[in-house]
Amino acid sequence: MAAKQKIWAGLGLVACLALPLIITDRYIQHLLVMSLIFVIFSSSWNLITGYSGQLNMGHAAFFGIGAYASALLALKLGVSPWIGMFLGGLLAAAAGFLLGIPALRLSGPYLAITTIGFAEILRLVAMNWVDLTRGSLGLYGIPPLPGFWGIRFTSELTFYYVALAAAAWALFCFRRITRSEFGLSLQAMREDEIGAESIGIGTNRYKLTVFTISAFFGGFAGALLAHYQRLISPDMLSLGETFQALTMTMIGGLGTLTGPVIGAVLLTFLSEGLRFVEDAVKMDVRLIIYGGLLIVTILFMRGGIMGLWERWRGRSAGDGEEA
Amino acid sequence: MESLFLQQVVNGLIVGSVYSLIAVGLTMIFGVMRISNFAHGDFSMVGAYIAVFILAWVPGWFGWVGSLVAALAGVGILGLVVERGLFRPLITRWTDLDQIMASVGLFFVMENLAQLFFGATPRMLPDPFQGATVDFGLFSTSMMRVLCISMAVGIIILLQIYLNRARMGVAIQATAQNRNAAQLMGININLIYGLTFALGSALAGLGGVLYGTIFAIYPTMGAIPTLKAFVVTILGGMGNIRGAIFSGFILGVAESLGGAYVSMEYKNAIGFVILILVLLIIPHGLFGRSEE
Amino acid sequence: MAILETKHVTKNFGGLTALQDVSFALEKGEVMGLIGPNGAGKTTLINILSGAFHPSEGKVIYQGEDISRLKANLVNERGIARTFQVVRIFKRLTVLENVLTAMVDRGKDGPWRLVWGSFFRRACAFNQDRDACATADGLLASVGLLDYRDERAENLPYAMSKRLEIARALATRPKVLLLDEPSSGLNPAEQNEQIKIIRQINEQGISILIIEHVMKVIMDISHRLIVLHYGEKIAEGEPEAVYNDPLVVEAYLGGEGNA
Repeated sequence: MAAKQKIWAGLGLVACLALPLIITDRYIQHLLVMSLIFVIFSSSWNLITGYSGQLNMGHAAFFGIGAYASALLALKLGVSPWIGMFLGGLLAAAAGFLLGIPALRLSGPYLAITTIGFAEILRLVAMNWVDLTRGSLGLYGIPPLPGFWGIRFTSELTFYYVALAAAAWALFCFRRITRSEFGLSLQAMREDEIGAESIGIGTNRYKLTVFTISAFFGGFAGALLAHYQRLISPDMLSLGETFQALTMTMIGGLGTLTGPVIGAVLLTFLSEGLRFVEDAVKMDVRLIIYGGLLIVTILFMRGGIMGLWERWRGRSAGDGEEA
Repeated sequence: MESLFLQQVVNGLIVGSVYSLIAVGLTMIFGVMRISNFAHGDFSMVGAYIAVFILAWVPGWFGWVGSLVAALAGVGILGLVVERGLFRPLITRWTDLDQIMASVGLFFVMENLAQLFFGATPRMLPDPFQGATVDFGLFSTSMMRVLCISMAVGIIILLQIYLNRARMGVAIQATAQNRNAAQLMGININLIYGLTFALGSALAGLGGVLYGTIFAIYPTMGAIPTLKAFVVTILGGMGNIRGAIFSGFILGVAESLGGAYVSMEYKNAIGFVILILVLLIIPHGLFGRSEE
Repeated sequence: MAILETKHVTKNFGGLTALQDVSFALEKGEVMGLIGPNGAGKTTLINILSGAFHPSEGKVIYQGEDISRLKANLVNERGIARTFQVVRIFKRLTVLENVLTAMVDRGKDGPWRLVWGSFFRRACAFNQDRDACATADGLLASVGLLDYRDERAENLPYAMSKRLEIARALATRPKVLLLDEPSSGLNPAEQNEQIKIIRQINEQGISILIIEHVMKVIMDISHRLIVLHYGEKIAEGEPEAVYNDPLVVEAYLGGEGNA
């Protein structure tokens, strides 16, 4: 079993590495990069909401903080984006800790609206602190990741490998964290907070910790996007951005490691597949589709694609035993 | 100085009356069904567009009366459809998470469908008074805004009478207080759910029409009433109708004063700042919860 | 020697007094039954002992330390574990994971140490850690749950979910176990099984305070009984003596009449 898994993982890795060499269309490569960034962003949201059960509707705040911090550090202070990305993540982590404080007391709709408010306040700051952020125009001309050994990270192809490494690293961390004592405790807290406290889980510290970690990766993903697009705007802090992560995760499978990965890739490509529709009606139909898919998932497909897979596997295993 | 202050308070009360009206619908739905509908403000948007189209078709007073009636009926029916199609199936097996996320999904669907059908151009409702203003000495305001606050207050009073006098209104209140007891007394819970959601949504629709007398109408406008209504609802204690009414006015005035004396740019953040402070200090809102 | 005691504990909820000046001592190694009609404040007392509530007045002393103000997780860390009247198991975790979660040594540094540690382990998942699983399996076997090991907790039959809660409480290595109606809703055969399990736990030296409505269970396993009535302690002593105490008889017959 373990050997089989290793073979599959190896094949997957080779496929990921070879993919942009086989598909040389720059547009598809661009979509791959965007998918990978959203893999990190959605997975980090999943850590708070899927594993710990804390409905965070303000995750875009971390995305935006990471992006703006890293971009501004590079633009104003000349900090290397390689370092800036991590500093952006750390600043987002600090914000995550702050946002974790209300989460100690609030849940459900109260937490949802508070987290929306948090992101919304930051979006207004990004819109109105024109001297620093250039307001709704956004920041442009953000330096790309500096190259080395003659490699420049300005093309989709080279950036793909950066994003792939980042996503692999993030997923490795998420895998380790969620399957550890800590991750199990988070899930226990999600299932029953009082029950969790009765076995010694100090839920307050666990919540603050998971908000901090998740925010770090959210900010890191944002910084990655900033140095890829080299153009960011306050829209990165909007509810719509959180909604993307939420939909991707829900469709893939909330509270699973693979779910957000599947969801992010699927929806990134799907929304581009809708381009021709958008050209016909001259507007963005992406969010209609996202919203519709989300509702369908919640109503008819519990656990998303991973849930379907589990049920299908469970049934076929059951059939096997009977036969 | 004195009159600027008073002027701001009056402006705040006028906007606040609309917040109250919209928030009352939201808090009613929460009180009875435990649904937090993040698409609530989009029902206001639909109501506002109903008014835009009717007033373009029938100008004048007939158009206004027609708009309010059509918004009440149209958004009410829309609410009923949403309740049956989306929230009813969730009611037996939902978690807070599922239900809230479903409503956020609905929010984005409605907002973007509106953009598809109505176009992104902002619209204004025509002023039946041709811009006439009234001067009260220390402050002045437009006739249209006087109409707005009187309508809002009028609707809220009518609602109070309905909830306290009418048979179904009393049944709604009883269900909000104790679902099981209400069921034992022979109240048809499904009927009450449908009615409450339709009524709550219709109030948002009416609020949307009045909102259009003050602000521009555009497809993505729903976000603001949704968020304001939530702030108001939580300040008032979720499910507490009186609390929502008062908090709506409080938020309106606080924003107006904050906009004038603190910062115009951050006017929309004021509600959230108050909300976060209140939630951290008194988690159940200024007026406590209606349920104990 | 008393391991856990309350001194003049009173608990008010708004205007209601749930507990009034309750003092008692749980001796080391004993099983103490806590009985009383519905609404007597039994569960409130367990909530106070386990740190879920804090007393309005009075103190809770555990091994000489005042724990009245400690939060539930810290009380558990000291060595007091509990179960709930309505089970609070982690439904979407497996039976094994329910127990493993409770076994985690959380230490003083809190969650960060666990996060850090997760990057330095041999087995990549805690639920595959051999030593931890062996211990957990032992606990599951002791309550007869080993067959359900990899089942999701939500799929357990009711009686099994009650046992899982006991196993989970034991996994925190307690010195005192507070059981809130461990055999409610069980059939007679299952009740007997439950009694056997509780006895075995006690034989390992764990002191037990148990709330129970089923008189057969409580008379069978308790060394001593205390009786609460309207939040006040009205009797304490040997089961037989308490059972025949006229005050107790009156409380039950005059109150709910479910004795």
